[in-house]
Amino acid sequence: MKKTMIGAAAATAATALVLAGCSTSSDEETTAPTTEASTGATDEAMTAESADITLWLMGGDTNEDLRQYLKDTYAEENGGTLTIEEQGWGDALAKLTTALPDSANTPDVTEIGNTWSPTFTAVGAFSDLTDMYDELGGDSLLQSFVEVGKKDDKNFAMPYYFGSRSIIFRKDIYDAAGVAQPTTLQEFNDNAAKLKTDDMSGFYLGGSDWRNGISWIFANGGDLAKQEDGQWVSTLSDPNTQKGLKMLQDLYTSSSNAPVGEFDSTPWVNINNNESTGKPEAATIMAPNWAHWSVGLTSEDDNGDVVVGDDGTTPVLTWDDDTFGTFALPGVDGGIAPVFAGGSNIGVSAASENQDAAKQLMSIIFSDDYQTMLAGAGLGPANLDFTSALGDDQFAKVNIEAASGSKLTPAAPGWAAVEGSSLLEEFFGKVNAGGDIAALATEYDAQITPMLNG
Amino acid sequence: MSSPVTSPKRQAQSEESIKAAEHASKAKRRARRAPYWLIAASIGILLVGTGYPTAWQLVTSTQSYGLAQQFGAAAEFIGLQNYIDLLSDAEFWQVVGRSLVFCFVVAGLTLVLGLAFALLMNAVNKAVRLILQISMLLAWAMPIVASMTVWTWLFDTRRGVVNYLLDKIPGVDMYRFDWFASPWTFFLMAGIIVTWMSVPFVAFSIFAGLTQVSDEVLEASALDGASNSQRLRLIILPMIKPVIAIVMLLQVIWDLRVFAQIKILQDAGASGSKFDLLGTYIYKVGTGSNDFASAAAASVIVLILTISISWWYVRKLMKEED
Repeated sequence: MKKTMIGAAAATAATALVLAGCSTSSDEETTAPTTEASTGATDEAMTAESADITLWLMGGDTNEDLRQYLKDTYAEENGGTLTIEEQGWGDALAKLTTALPDSANTPDVTEIGNTWSPTFTAVGAFSDLTDMYDELGGDSLLQSFVEVGKKDDKNFAMPYYFGSRSIIFRKDIYDAAGVAQPTTLQEFNDNAAKLKTDDMSGFYLGGSDWRNGISWIFANGGDLAKQEDGQWVSTLSDPNTQKGLKMLQDLYTSSSNAPVGEFDSTPWVNINNNESTGKPEAATIMAPNWAHWSVGLTSEDDNGDVVVGDDGTTPVLTWDDDTFGTFALPGVDGGIAPVFAGGSNIGVSAASENQDAAKQLMSIIFSDDYQTMLAGAGLGPANLDFTSALGDDQFAKVNIEAASGSKLTPAAPGWAAVEGSSLLEEFFGKVNAGGDIAALATEYDAQITPMLNG
Repeated sequence: MSSPVTSPKRQAQSEESIKAAEHASKAKRRARRAPYWLIAASIGILLVGTGYPTAWQLVTSTQSYGLAQQFGAAAEFIGLQNYIDLLSDAEFWQVVGRSLVFCFVVAGLTLVLGLAFALLMNAVNKAVRLILQISMLLAWAMPIVASMTVWTWLFDTRRGVVNYLLDKIPGVDMYRFDWFASPWTFFLMAGIIVTWMSVPFVAFSIFAGLTQVSDEVLEASALDGASNSQRLRLIILPMIKPVIAIVMLLQVIWDLRVFAQIKILQDAGASGSKFDLLGTYIYKVGTGSNDFASAAAASVIVLILTISISWWYVRKLMKEED
C-alpha cells in the first residue's frame, strides 16, 4: 500500500518535472545564417566579396519598403543575400548583450537605441568606421547622435534615424474652455491643470514615464548626469534639475489621471474619443511624432457602422484639423523646450566575420536614395541634408522644430545599465507620487552614480 | 588456485560449473550495468544542461564581470566580494524575505485549494468530474504569456472587469482602482494568478493519491461510526501524506523562483524595487544592469536557499519511508 503511494507520488513528481522542463520557454535562438567568411579581405569596402549577411532592426519603424530596398540593393551590389531580423525593443538589450560578442551569432550590422550607444561603443562592440565617416555623410550627420557613438575621437556607431517628441492636443476642448496654445512651459502647465476633470487628464502623463518627463528637467537647464574630472556623476540633486522635477511634480499632480506606475504609455489611446463615452480621456498628450498616425476620429459608412481596418475590428482613425492640433513643447522663457530625442544608431558588429560586406551595407544605408526614403517614411534622416524630404505638413514642421532643440540622455558608458535597472522609472514614480524631491534625488543619485562609469 | 591432482571428471565438472558461474555472473554484471547505461543519458544531459551553467555561475560569482567582460575584457577574480556586497545589502534581504513569504503563502493556499478540488473530484459523478478535469487542464496547459495577457486585462485600471464588478457591490468604491500602485495589491494579484495556475497540478496529483485509498478501509471506518471530517483527518490525509509532502515541496520550489508572471505584471505598470521577487531581482541586476557577477552570486544564494528548504523536506520524506 505504502509502496504504491510512494510510487504514485514519485510518478507525479517525475511528470511534474518533465512538464516543467517542457514549459520553460527556451529563448528563441537567433542564429544568423551561416556565412561564408570573406577570405583574403581587401581593405576596400566597395569591392567586398559576395557574402550573406544579417541586419538587426529594432521594432517596426523601418517599414517594409525600406527593408525591401536594402535587400534588393545589397543583392545587386554585393551578390549575397541580406537577411533582416526584427528584434523587439523590450528584449533587444539582452539580445544585443549576448549576440554581439559572439561571432557565430552576431548580426553583421545592427540598429541600436541611441541611448545605449555609449555603453556598447565603450566596451568595443562595434567596428571602427572613422575611415568611412566622410563617405557616410560627415558633418551633415546628426551630431548629437554621432557623439554617442564615439570613443577616443573615433567613430563607431553612426546615427540611423531620429524622431522628436511633440505635443498633440484637442483643439475642440481647448477652444471650448477658452484656452489658447501656450507660449511658455508654465503656461502649458497652467492650461493642463485648468482642463483637468475627474474623467479627463489635462495632460496625460504616466507617473513613471521619465522619457517624457525629462523634458521639464532639460527645459530648466538641468540634466540627469554630467562628467566631472573624467568621471560621470548623477545630477538629480542639481538645483536646475530640482527645479524641473518640481515643475513636473506639479504638472502630474494637477493635471494627469494616469497611474503613478505607468511608464510605457500609449497616450494616443487617451486623446482619441473613448468608444463607450464618445469623449477623450486626455486633452493633451506628448508622444513621438509618428504617433499622429494613431490619432483621429472614427467614421461611419452608409449603414451607420464604424469603418474598420483590414483586421475587421480596429476602427480606421482619420486626423481632423478641427479636433486635433500639434505643437512643439514651449520652453521656460518661450521658444522651444529641449525634448528627449528618440531614435537609433547603427553600427557594424566588431565580431562580424563579414566586415567588408557589412561596410558595404552601411554605404547603402547612408546613400542619398535611402536617406530620402527614410525621411519620406516620416523618420528623421541621419543625414540632415535630407530633412526636407520629411515633407512640409504640420507634423513634419513640428518634428523638425522640436528636433532642433532636442537633447539626448548622458553619453556615459554605464547608461544602458541605468536604463536597464528601472531606477529612473522608480525615481520619477516616487517624485510624481508626491515624494520629497530633494531627499529622493539624494537617494537615487547615490544609486545611479556608481553605475554610470560602466 | 586449483590443486594439481584432480580427476578429469571433476575437472570437467568444475570447468562446467565455472563456465556456468561465469555466464551467470556475466549476465548479472550486464544486468547490474544496464541501469547505469540507462541513466547515463540523463546524467549526461544534466551535466551539460545544468552542470555547465551552474559551474559557470559559480566561477562568475567570484569575479567582477560586467558588459566589458562579456565583450572580451579579462575578468578580475575578487573572491567572495560579490556575496559580501549582496549579503550586506538591505534591499537584497527585503527581496529574500518577500520571496519566502510569497512562496509559502501561495504554495500553502495552492495546496489547500488543490486538496479541496481533489476531494470534490473524488466525490462528484463522472460527468461533472470530467468537466472539472478539462477546465483545470486548460488552466494548467495555458501558455503563461497568453494567460498573463488576459489577467492584466482583467485587472486593468480603466477597463478591467475586476474593477467593474467590484465597483458594482454597494458601498465599494473600486472605480479606476490601480492594482499596480501598491506592493500589497500587486502581490495579492500575483498570488491569485500564481495560485490559479498551480492548483490544477496539485489537484490532479492529490486526486491520483486519493484513488489509492482503499474503499474497504473507508467503509470499515464508516461502519465504526467515523464522521466525514474524521475520515478525512484521520484516514485519508495520513494515507496521502507522501503525495501532499512532495507536491508541497515542488510548489515551494516553483513559487520561490517564480519569474514570468511577476515580470509580465511589472511590465504592465509597476517597476519599482518594492515589486521585485528573487527572480525579477536577479534579472534586473544581471540582464538589466549588466552586472552579471552579482546576478550570479544572487542565483547561487537562491540555489542554496532552495536546497536547504528541499533538504529538510526530502529528509522528512525519507524518514517516513523507513
